[in-house]
Amino acid sequence: MTGPGTPPPAGRPPAAGRVRVTAPEGAPLGLARRRAADDPAAEFYVRSLIRSQLRLSLSVALGFLLLLLCLAVVVAAWPQIHAIRILTIPLPWIVLGIGVYPIILLGAFLYNRASARYEARYRDVTGE
Amino acid sequence: MNAGTSLAAIAVVVLSTVLIAVHGLRLSRTTGDFYVASRTVRPWWNASAIGGEYLSAASFLGIAGLIVVSGQDALWFPIGYTAGYLMLLLFVAAPLRRSGAYTLPDFAQIRLGSRVARLVTSVLVVMVGWLYIVPQLHGAALTLGITTGLPGWLGAGLVMAVVCLTVLAGGMRSITFVQAFQFWLKLGALAVPTVFMLLQLGVAGRSPTGNGLAFDLPPAAIGSSGIYGTISLIVALLFGTLGLPHVLVRFYTNPDGPSARRTTAIVLGLLSVFYLFPTVLGVLGRLHLPELALAGNADATVLLLPERIVGGTAGNLLTAVVIGGAFAAFMSTTSGLVVSLAGVMSQDLFGGTVRGFRYATVLASVIPLLLALGTSTLALAGAIGSVFAFTASTLCPLLLLGIWWRRLTAAGAVAGMLTGAVGCAAAMAAASLVPGLSGLAREVAVQPAAWTVPLAFLVTVVVSLATAGQTSRTTTAVMTRLHAPERAAPVPPRP
Repeated sequence: MTGPGTPPPAGRPPAAGRVRVTAPEGAPLGLARRRAADDPAAEFYVRSLIRSQLRLSLSVALGFLLLLLCLAVVVAAWPQIHAIRILTIPLPWIVLGIGVYPIILLGAFLYNRASARYEARYRDVTGE
Repeated sequence: MNAGTSLAAIAVVVLSTVLIAVHGLRLSRTTGDFYVASRTVRPWWNASAIGGEYLSAASFLGIAGLIVVSGQDALWFPIGYTAGYLMLLLFVAAPLRRSGAYTLPDFAQIRLGSRVARLVTSVLVVMVGWLYIVPQLHGAALTLGITTGLPGWLGAGLVMAVVCLTVLAGGMRSITFVQAFQFWLKLGALAVPTVFMLLQLGVAGRSPTGNGLAFDLPPAAIGSSGIYGTISLIVALLFGTLGLPHVLVRFYTNPDGPSARRTTAIVLGLLSVFYLFPTVLGVLGRLHLPELALAGNADATVLLLPERIVGGTAGNLLTAVVIGGAFAAFMSTTSGLVVSLAGVMSQDLFGGTVRGFRYATVLASVIPLLLALGTSTLALAGAIGSVFAFTASTLCPLLLLGIWWRRLTAAGAVAGMLTGAVGCAAAMAAASLVPGLSGLAREVAVQPAAWTVPLAFLVTVVVSLATAGQTSRTTTAVMTRLHAPERAAPVPPRP
């Protein structure tokens, strides 16, 4: 990002006291190499961080998808469940309309905690 | 229906939106401010803004309408809309923030180092954006038409004009304030009438569910969808959210990866609370306005319920509140889309300057307005569902594989995106053009996500493997940047 004090690009200079700002152009888009990407040890740590993050995300996602799939199958294959009512509301309506959301929130909370822990461990190992 | 109160409600929402945008203008100075609010937005603000942007006409009007029409099946829509954010949190939020890209095409270019991949992504983003804006404008037309009797195109034109002006005035920074404000406005505009109506029914000693009758009325639609339809819908909604351009652009406004994750978790909470209300309203609608389903006007359920249940002056005032919220919904989603489309188009067409952003804003507004005026209103939730299916089959494979799979190549990404786009478009064309489709064939065409999304992933992977020598040279550097946590140093103090 071009901030105040950076020389304006070529062309008609902006009026005094004003700075012309443009978005960064072209391929690099500020792609400064962070940390030693060429260092094999550093790359190993990044790879294992990515692997553990992906494993975490996949397990939360698959668990949740499986739960949704079970719900869909149970509701479709077992219509009698409709007759179970709490305060006149059928059980599928309660589960699908209310019950799913706390599960989503719980999944998000647990994921955030675990993910932050992985990153903290990465910081410890790489000494940053 | 009192047209005067309705118009007053619309005027209040429009004026307050413009006022907040002008307030934001004083803070908006650099291109960075215009595009991504200089990345200084706090998680709670940003989460409210994301919620404000995301809750569109389909959420505000469409879900209750769909519950009236098809009953229990409709409950999958809010689940999918919310769980889409869970997927976003799990796979995209933090890495995308760390990518340092402004827009999805920027991400494609950074990750794949290819102009072609960037261009294809840009075209798809613009298409998704336009398709997503059109139902918002249809919603505005429906609301204005049904509550005031004025011609519907006025509503669409009004929304587009206000959005275009606010975006021109302030860009993203003011949009963040506007969006955050509009989330709470929308929540209140559904919560207050809902609570009031439930109290009214309770005081009158009537069961809100008609002693369970509301759940027993048969679906008025062509028949409830089978298990394939439900699964396909879930796939579309879960993975479609990942690629929505107006959702993604929000993540660049977080200061760092962990705050992007915090923001997403807060969004999940906000959405979970919000979706309770359209659901309750839908159930009330099944009992009190069942005739709307037969008239094909079920999307008006939320607008007509207060008058039907409460009536009188109180009913009129509550209707006005709902209308205000509905317009907030149309405007916030539309402005979020216009900002992100203008961001993409100005980078690729106008050299990324502030003036280019303004030209692109006008372009991003006028074309969907013309599309909306030239097409007829569909059921809002269904129309948005199709856009989700399209996004899930095109932009989602690029994002997911780009973030998590080193061997993705530009050729693979482009092939996958084109396959998904063609497959999805063909299915939807078949659904609307081939008359004799019925049963499973019809469902496969109407809800294509269950096969187009895996197909797009498959093609992306196969072509990437076939062009294995062509991975971007910067892949390792980019992957490090996406996933390694930020250095601990520049954490700003909490206010």
